[in-house]
Amino acid sequence: MFNNQLLSRILDIGEQMLISGAEISRVEDSISRMCIAYQVKRVDVLTITSVIQVSVHLENGEVFTQSRRIRAYATNLNKLDKLNKLSRNICSSLPDLEYIDKELEEINKEQPYSQYAHYLIYALVAGSFTIFFGGNMADGLASAMIGMLLKFLVNAAQKVDKNLLMINIFCSFAVGAVAIFAVQWGFGNNLEKILIGNIMLMIPGLALTTSIRDMISGDTISGLLRFSEAILLATSIALGFGLAEILFGGRLV
Amino acid sequence: MMSIIQIFTAFLAALGFAMLYNVRGIKLLYAAIGGLLSWSVNLLAGYWLHHEAFQFFIAAFSVTIYAEICARINKTPTTTFLPASIIPLVPGGALYYSMQYAVNSMLDEFLSRSLYTASLAIAIAAGILLASSIWKVWLTALNFLESGLKRYK
Repeated sequence: MFNNQLLSRILDIGEQMLISGAEISRVEDSISRMCIAYQVKRVDVLTITSVIQVSVHLENGEVFTQSRRIRAYATNLNKLDKLNKLSRNICSSLPDLEYIDKELEEINKEQPYSQYAHYLIYALVAGSFTIFFGGNMADGLASAMIGMLLKFLVNAAQKVDKNLLMINIFCSFAVGAVAIFAVQWGFGNNLEKILIGNIMLMIPGLALTTSIRDMISGDTISGLLRFSEAILLATSIALGFGLAEILFGGRLV
Repeated sequence: MMSIIQIFTAFLAALGFAMLYNVRGIKLLYAAIGGLLSWSVNLLAGYWLHHEAFQFFIAAFSVTIYAEICARINKTPTTTFLPASIIPLVPGGALYYSMQYAVNSMLDEFLSRSLYTASLAIAIAAGILLASSIWKVWLTALNFLESGLKRYK
């Protein structure tokens, strides 16, 4: 009853969960629950931020092993919710392959908010954080405009280069430069507050917190990987802003 | 006045992040209220504690319990609400300043800022973990009581 095709579907679900933003422990837990539901003898799952690997031992002595390499994340919590429901459904009703395929296809159609909405969201977040950290209304407005520019730059950069570090250096440099000019021309008063609003959109603060959470709860490898990723990204952003500061003479720090 | 502005903008920022993470429908509102809650608790705790990491710990703890309750109500994973709700607490600014000092090779400032950033991140992570463990204990106790009652009937 359990075979390689089924294991492949189960791993697909796990992979999509990890990409959509599930915790490591949730991915491992869901995969082993789904396998165990099909009455296998033993399941070994290893999940770290970039790889999922599963070995399944059957009662008749057969062993299946498969793995998935995860290269990029796209947080999509609505999709995660649906995947979670599907995995519970599989555990309780043991459906056939066609059913799982159909459901997965349906879930993979799940789209994030539209690009236009994303421009507004970037403006909203950047503006809110500028005011949150003590900027005035003019700063908030400037920050919101620069937030939209940031979204545009991120989109453009992603088309040219997939390397996240380079994208971050480029975007933070451009945002830093524009913010410096904006303040020099009297559009907004506090450069630092305008920058911090946009920084909150780029900086991996949440990844840093998650990495420590992983480490404390026992997923040390994943925690360390995510931690070093977060520090690298933060450094690249600081580099970009630092470069803008040196070239265009705004005063930071 | 500053606090009210902060609480309001924390709400908006959490709403924005929830949309970035593709949370849909009424759950957006729950996540945004979580952001408002996390910063309010942090400010309230500040009135009687003067220890920033501990304030963040308490705020992270409360907002995790809030997210667990919301997850129960909406029958979704806690992850739907927690990342966006916790955003106002996340030390993105502090992390950025540490790296800024590192890039400018100001070693002393870099070290003290990094330790400060790390202390906040650890406080938040500890708050989340403690709250989710306590919530698990509570659910287990609840299940135990329910099954006991059923047997009694």
